[in-house]
Amino acid sequence: MKSRFIIISKIVSLFVVGFIIISFVYHPATRTTVFRFPYKEAGLTERQAAAHLLSRFSFGATPGQIDEVVKTGLENWFQKQLIGGIPDDSLQARTLEYDALKMTNTEANEVFPRPIQILKMARENGIIPKDSANDVDRKIYKKKIAQYAREKKYRRQSEFFHQFINYKILRATYSNNQLHEVLTDFWFNHFNVSFTKKDCALFIPAYERDAIRPFVTGKFEDMLLATAKSPAMLLYLDNFNSVANSDENRMGDEERMKRRLMRMNASMDDTAATAMVQKLANRKKNQGLNENYAREVMELHTLGVNGGYTQADVTQAARILTGWTLYPIENSYGSGIKKLLDKIGEDRLSDQGFVHDGDFLFAMNRHDTKAKTVLGKQFASNAGYQEGVELLKMLAHHKSTANFICRKLAVHFVSDNPAQSLVEKMEKSFLQHEGNISEVLITMVSSPEFWNKNVIREKTKSPFELAISAVRALKADVQQPYLLFGWIDKMGQKIYHYQAPTGFPDKAQYWINTGALLNRMNFGLAVASKQMRGVQTNLLGLNNFHEPESAEEALITYSKLLMPERNLDQTIKRLTPLLTEPQLDKKVEQAAGKKNSASVSIVSDKEELMVEEAMKEDKEDLAKKTKQNEISTENMLAQVVGIIIGSPEFQRK
Amino acid sequence: MSSRRGFLKSGALAVFGVSVGGVPAFIARAASKEKISSPYKKNKILVCIFQRGAMDGLMAVAPFTDAYLKIARPSLFMSAAKDARTTPLIDLDGRFGLHPGLRSFEQAFRNKQMAIVHGIGSPNNSRSHFDAQDYMESGTPFNKGTDSGWLNRASGLLGHDGSPFRSVSLTNSMPRSFYGYNTSIAISNLQDFALQLKGNPMAANITAKSFEDLYDQASSDLLKETGKETFSAVKMLDKMDTRNYQPANGAVYPQSPLGNALRQIAQLVKMDVGLEIGFAESGGWDTHYNQGTEMGSFGRNALDLSNSITAFWTDLSSYQDELTVMTMTEFGRTVKQNGSGGTDHGRGSCNFILGNDVKGGIIHGSVGSLATENLEDGRDLPVTTDFRAVFSEVADNHLKIKNDAVLFPGWEGKKIGVMRT
Repeated sequence: MKSRFIIISKIVSLFVVGFIIISFVYHPATRTTVFRFPYKEAGLTERQAAAHLLSRFSFGATPGQIDEVVKTGLENWFQKQLIGGIPDDSLQARTLEYDALKMTNTEANEVFPRPIQILKMARENGIIPKDSANDVDRKIYKKKIAQYAREKKYRRQSEFFHQFINYKILRATYSNNQLHEVLTDFWFNHFNVSFTKKDCALFIPAYERDAIRPFVTGKFEDMLLATAKSPAMLLYLDNFNSVANSDENRMGDEERMKRRLMRMNASMDDTAATAMVQKLANRKKNQGLNENYAREVMELHTLGVNGGYTQADVTQAARILTGWTLYPIENSYGSGIKKLLDKIGEDRLSDQGFVHDGDFLFAMNRHDTKAKTVLGKQFASNAGYQEGVELLKMLAHHKSTANFICRKLAVHFVSDNPAQSLVEKMEKSFLQHEGNISEVLITMVSSPEFWNKNVIREKTKSPFELAISAVRALKADVQQPYLLFGWIDKMGQKIYHYQAPTGFPDKAQYWINTGALLNRMNFGLAVASKQMRGVQTNLLGLNNFHEPESAEEALITYSKLLMPERNLDQTIKRLTPLLTEPQLDKKVEQAAGKKNSASVSIVSDKEELMVEEAMKEDKEDLAKKTKQNEISTENMLAQVVGIIIGSPEFQRK
Repeated sequence: MSSRRGFLKSGALAVFGVSVGGVPAFIARAASKEKISSPYKKNKILVCIFQRGAMDGLMAVAPFTDAYLKIARPSLFMSAAKDARTTPLIDLDGRFGLHPGLRSFEQAFRNKQMAIVHGIGSPNNSRSHFDAQDYMESGTPFNKGTDSGWLNRASGLLGHDGSPFRSVSLTNSMPRSFYGYNTSIAISNLQDFALQLKGNPMAANITAKSFEDLYDQASSDLLKETGKETFSAVKMLDKMDTRNYQPANGAVYPQSPLGNALRQIAQLVKMDVGLEIGFAESGGWDTHYNQGTEMGSFGRNALDLSNSITAFWTDLSSYQDELTVMTMTEFGRTVKQNGSGGTDHGRGSCNFILGNDVKGGIIHGSVGSLATENLEDGRDLPVTTDFRAVFSEVADNHLKIKNDAVLFPGWEGKKIGVMRT
């Protein structure tokens, strides 16, 4: 009961925090300038424009959605999508059971500890002997460990990750706030962290929820700061153990430490104290400065690789960020620093220059207190945590960042090779509105370059986008989202597992290769057929149970249903010859016409029986034919739809 | 027959009947030949095996004459002395002994087809599996932001047109080594490389034809070209009977992930589908607890590794001139054993290179005395050979890749002569 109470109270507090965040985030509704999308000038009809808008700012149009957008008005729809917060009842109904995703990092760590932690605790608590990994004993220990875990109410980590992955798939499929889903996907990939790094994996769901999602239409600076302080990022790019180098900062420290040791321990003489200090210093030397985050925050998150920074800037930025780490988490991280924090006491932390903000800790004792200069800007020599905040702000508003981010957005939403003029407009907007993402997006969609005929359907769907757009277009009932995860992985995009901090590349060339393309076709066939239990489709229902009268009609009808407002002449033309096989009618007739030989029965009155039998046969025949028709129609439709989804045209957005 | 009738009934043919005789031309073509006549000339092939988890190089190839090793590892030390109680190490050169689990390497070593590099590792001293693997596979030990893997860059530097099967990783997901823009395939089972329409092979063929036509007419060049490549690749593999594969020369692959992966790579080699870079993984090397001696967790892994590689080498005897196999692991393990009969994360380890152009029968690199003062941070076998020195030399000598600046950006070291010149 107690734990439930804690969870509830945590949820409530989360709510409050969420509310505060929302009220701070920029609200596009409050902007005064009205925007207009210049699609008519580009020669597009309103419906074509709506289709383009949906293909770029949603995970694919659902049947009838183009009508909705036209009815709402394109600009109005976009504005509503920017604001978000549209009720998502059906999504919520599908995700009720996902309790883990509301947990804080600490709770997640309590409930879903890493197997290695469980093992460690089991050893420490004497459940199994310290040296227990003998094969002979393994079975007994296995049981003991399982029992221990059960008593402690630990759950398997894989369950946690399944929930998270399923959640992403369901949100992308069913959320009415499509733009927020698309942007969350984009920004997560921009600030990539990965399940493949086990140390940070457990903290990734909270990372997406708390450091990415609330900021996707807000100020870039806020998202940058939130990611920098989030445990997942701190662990993924190693800043959590970046400590001021001893030669930079610790000269005086050694003398002080020596005196302290001697004070604390009367029996310790000067030589012993020196040796001890030396030993500690050696251990520290191994830790020292870690430049990984400082480098990637410039190269990948803000300025871009050609953003005009040097290796010296990286080192200096790393020194500014020394001490940015996680607040200790029980049984997981930071037992060493916990002792120090306890000694200082929570209420005196800030006096000592420490900052404790949720899961984030600025550890003053690790911070490099000397002066630093990054990109020509001098940082106050002893401003502690604020130095880092200032650094990130400077990076967030840098001209190179405006260029890098706007180009990346244009590549994602417009074209693999966006027009320079478009990027320049967006860049200007970014700087003018101080990194306001909504404003940049509005500028982008209000530019003629967004509607240029050359960019319509120029982008290739990522495997994730392909899978989600298919189930959305088919109005599929996704009961087992994890099945889709498997397919998306096979097609080349194991979501949340991209190892490098670059995130998945955002270009067709990366996604389209031999193995991946084959799997796209196989995915199309699988999702349209009944092969994929747990992802149910109703192909006839999609066309209001209106049965196509011929294969040709099926092809045309379903092509249009799945790829609305596109010129499908080519696709249909290419497939039509396959429909006009001269011998075909005969073959089908032969196959279908093979009647069962009449059943033998005892005859009394031949004539009577004949009539009876004829009537019975007729009825059976009819039923059989209907059944056969149903099956054959279903199979035929499945194959048509499978080929449409696997077709080149459906790969584009 | 029944499946054919069922298919006709199903009406699927009504949609996608084929114009001539119902059998797509490529199937007929393929059926008429045992092997697809290969458009790819006999290329050199490099197969890399990543030993994930960090192999204890000091147990694999032990400097058994070093008294410090015996002291540091009271229960893990193995001797080369022949006594009845334990299986001895295989004495390679009077100083180094091969773990008995690796005994099948002995012959190749004596034949000078296998070289060992000892003290190999990364200049970055990270002891995190994730980071060290990442650095080794990207080939840039100080830069996490490198978006490509070294084997993908190698593929781009081969300097001639490649087959869709140029780079194949027999793994579930694309390994970091293969990240990048040059075509590569990650597949755990070659049987999956086909259009999959359950229970209806005929329908699958016809569907394939539909797809092929569609992609042939695609307006995007990328989709069109890749489509073409895909269908030619499917056709190449169409003839392969993966289930009933018989290895040559009596080679026996272990029934293990590594054994299966190498067996399938061997099949690709024999199919002449243009494989040039193969990749497989071997797991379980993170031996913190009860590492064991001959038949502990280390010993079992060693046996699987050597038996898999030896089966591969034997199976492909007639391709040996074209073939080089190289192992790699992210770092080594502590010289001292820990409190639970294992070893912890260290620095230098060793690797194995097998091939006819290898300077074999030699333990390359440098391993000094294991006295504490000689160890890195007082605990680990120091890294004396940068992995890039070895990888680049193998790529240069075997695959004729000369552009080290692209293969390993930022690296300016010297090669150490593990290959014959």
